[in-house]
Amino acid sequence: MSERALEGLRVIECGELVAAAYATKLLADLGADVIKVEPPGNGDAARYRGPFPGNQVDPEKSGLFLYLNTNKRAITLDLRQRRGQEILRELVGGADLLVHNFGPHEMTAAGIDYPSLSEINPKLILVSIAPFGLEGPHSTWATTDLTLWNAGGIAYLNGGGPGTDDMPPLKAFGQQAGFQGGLNAAIAALAAVFARGVNGAGQHVVISIQECLAAILELTYEYYPYMGLIASRLGHKPIQPLDFLECKDGWIFVCCVEEHQWQTLVDLMGNPEWTQIELFENRIARAANWDACKLFLQEWASTQSVSDLYHAGQARRIPLAPVSTMADLLTSDHLKTRGFFAVIDHPKAGRVTMPGAPYGFGCTPWELRRPAPLLGQHNDEIFSTLLQLNESTRRDLHAQGVI
Amino acid sequence: MGAGRPLEGIRVADFTWVWAGPFCTLQLAHLGAEVIRIETASRPCVTRMLPPWLDGKPGINRSGYFNQYNQGKLSLSLDLKQPRAVEIAKELVAQSDIVCENFAAGVMVRFGLGYEVLSQVKPDIIMIAMSGYGASGPEHEYVSYGPAQVPLSGMSSLTGYSGWPPMHVGISYGDPTGGLHGAFAVLAALLYRQRTGKGQFIDLSQQETSIAVLPEGVLAQTMNGEQPPRSGNRDPWMAPHGVFRCAGEQRWVSLAVRNDKEWHRLASAIGNAALADDKRFSSLQARKANEDELEKIITAWTLQHSPEDITEVLQGIEIASFPAFNSQDLSDDPHLNRAGAFVELEHPEVGRLRHIGMPWRMLGTPCAVERPAPCLGQHTDYVMSEILGHSDGEIAELKSAGVLR
Repeated sequence: MSERALEGLRVIECGELVAAAYATKLLADLGADVIKVEPPGNGDAARYRGPFPGNQVDPEKSGLFLYLNTNKRAITLDLRQRRGQEILRELVGGADLLVHNFGPHEMTAAGIDYPSLSEINPKLILVSIAPFGLEGPHSTWATTDLTLWNAGGIAYLNGGGPGTDDMPPLKAFGQQAGFQGGLNAAIAALAAVFARGVNGAGQHVVISIQECLAAILELTYEYYPYMGLIASRLGHKPIQPLDFLECKDGWIFVCCVEEHQWQTLVDLMGNPEWTQIELFENRIARAANWDACKLFLQEWASTQSVSDLYHAGQARRIPLAPVSTMADLLTSDHLKTRGFFAVIDHPKAGRVTMPGAPYGFGCTPWELRRPAPLLGQHNDEIFSTLLQLNESTRRDLHAQGVI
Repeated sequence: MGAGRPLEGIRVADFTWVWAGPFCTLQLAHLGAEVIRIETASRPCVTRMLPPWLDGKPGINRSGYFNQYNQGKLSLSLDLKQPRAVEIAKELVAQSDIVCENFAAGVMVRFGLGYEVLSQVKPDIIMIAMSGYGASGPEHEYVSYGPAQVPLSGMSSLTGYSGWPPMHVGISYGDPTGGLHGAFAVLAALLYRQRTGKGQFIDLSQQETSIAVLPEGVLAQTMNGEQPPRSGNRDPWMAPHGVFRCAGEQRWVSLAVRNDKEWHRLASAIGNAALADDKRFSSLQARKANEDELEKIITAWTLQHSPEDITEVLQGIEIASFPAFNSQDLSDDPHLNRAGAFVELEHPEVGRLRHIGMPWRMLGTPCAVERPAPCLGQHTDYVMSEILGHSDGEIAELKSAGVLR
């Protein structure tokens, strides 16, 4: 078996929901040894979000949790108790990274502070992912993924369309603020490990999720400093077609950025007369008259099948895309050939198919070595072998509700 | 204790363009790597040709789009259509640690710059190809544009108002998601090289990195054979959960209630005593069943106030809430300004304008953007003489031959 890229890296994760868990999933899937710390009793809130098989809530079968926690071991530890904090410190003594997404108050309450942890382990890298960072007027504010998506400025850019400005700014599906926070944290974490390989020192890294989102506003933010304009979801697009059309068996996204792509599409449609109308003569004119242009296009699209149109368009180098449903993705020949989807066998949830390796490395594997852990599944293993707590101590800790 | 930036001394030969690839190399530049963008005036980066331009006046170095996502990088102009330019690109790769590109699969090979070739030039090179569909599979040569990646990956079929068509998310979301996964993968390969001395090739598919952030959608299908319906801003486990209209023109506030206790606090904040005891809203299940009604009641309240006032009231009682920020709100936000979220450096053509910086603070190895985005070819002389050791005469000759263009 070839060596894994992050072999030998030990990571402690105190994560709830997505951000810290996705950061450490990225590490674990490349070979890091990740120990997830959950509160005794209920565990991570991701265990209650689903989706669940048969839509029956079961904390051991939540799809979000099963996905985010592949390749990790898990212990339970009550970090509100002093003894729980002591055990965390013992774990930190042998760890390279501690990744958490507590806010500043919860972090202090859990006994996580860099000065005292670095005394125990000067090489430790503490990664704090917080909605608004750890300092400043908003740092203690309550948030959810939705409110962060709004705080980062992305929601304001989406939703409605021409003539529908009564519709609210619209979030993207899922928990995208959490994923963006996790991705940035994983990058900063590995950079800190790399720097430690050079200078030998650990450090504290802080990620603001709001700033992660403000960093991906594409070209929209700069309209303000460059031109004094505020981008919004309202009004017309600058060029067309860049829109969704309904075919007879689903939706397709028609994308003609370059003029030659439009000409090729016109050709593909059999050069209908309406395409000669002056109102549609170039991409800017089509955008200005999009309501009319879309009617013609939609009429044609409604006679087409998504898959035929997609492949016929792409064969002519028109960047059409199917509006993939989940079923489309799972049956895509392309993704099948690439072996994208992964299957795990989980002791409670059974065989589960989920998104797999988002990248392939030439030498070092992306692997699923174990399914997501049950709540407290590795308590005995970790407390006895790693921390050398004997059985009676473990029994006492359990009785006190520490583990 | 070294306080140098983490990737100080690492050099990146950056063949990327548009957004996904440059966003990957932006992270590496933020971390202190010397990122050299290979560009050409005969086919400039798409983002140089798009607005916003300072004062609305087009110009190849005046685009805010390019200048945002290329902060801290250098620019070498090199027309890879010319055989001698390809040789210079190889010389640069021989002096680099990392090669990044996001052309459609096969394009680098046709330039004569595929991994097979580059790993001969520099055996421990780390190379990442970040194409739309990945380097293999029946669709690998398909054309991929940012706006089309969102529907292709499944995000659009899940996003939208209830009963409405599929929708976008407001940005070409596959690009930054692909770019960040790419930067992470490069760093993992760099750590492996630090330990073993070995480089490697990384094949990243933007489609796959976009699906990687949709587990709730994919697993609903694989577990239950159902596609989650588009449901606007609503959430299966929280209600109310939405973005509500406030007083003023296009002013909106987001808020989310996570449990019954929070609902009771919100009901009292609305100032309608009967609401807290209203059976239609007494449990999550009840609030979900009567969510249309619930949202009308919330809107009747928010319409009388500004988003800032609503947020202040709700944060005062520990309920998640935030105004729907636009770019001016972000710029004016005291929290972000105090946090150092913005970068303003002197750029030769646009002067000191505000850009968004890096979202992390590395307290042991502080990172800062050292230079604004480069003008096209601004560092050609530096790269050609300081890094590659060409004489002034050679450089002048290569310029007049249109190689350094």
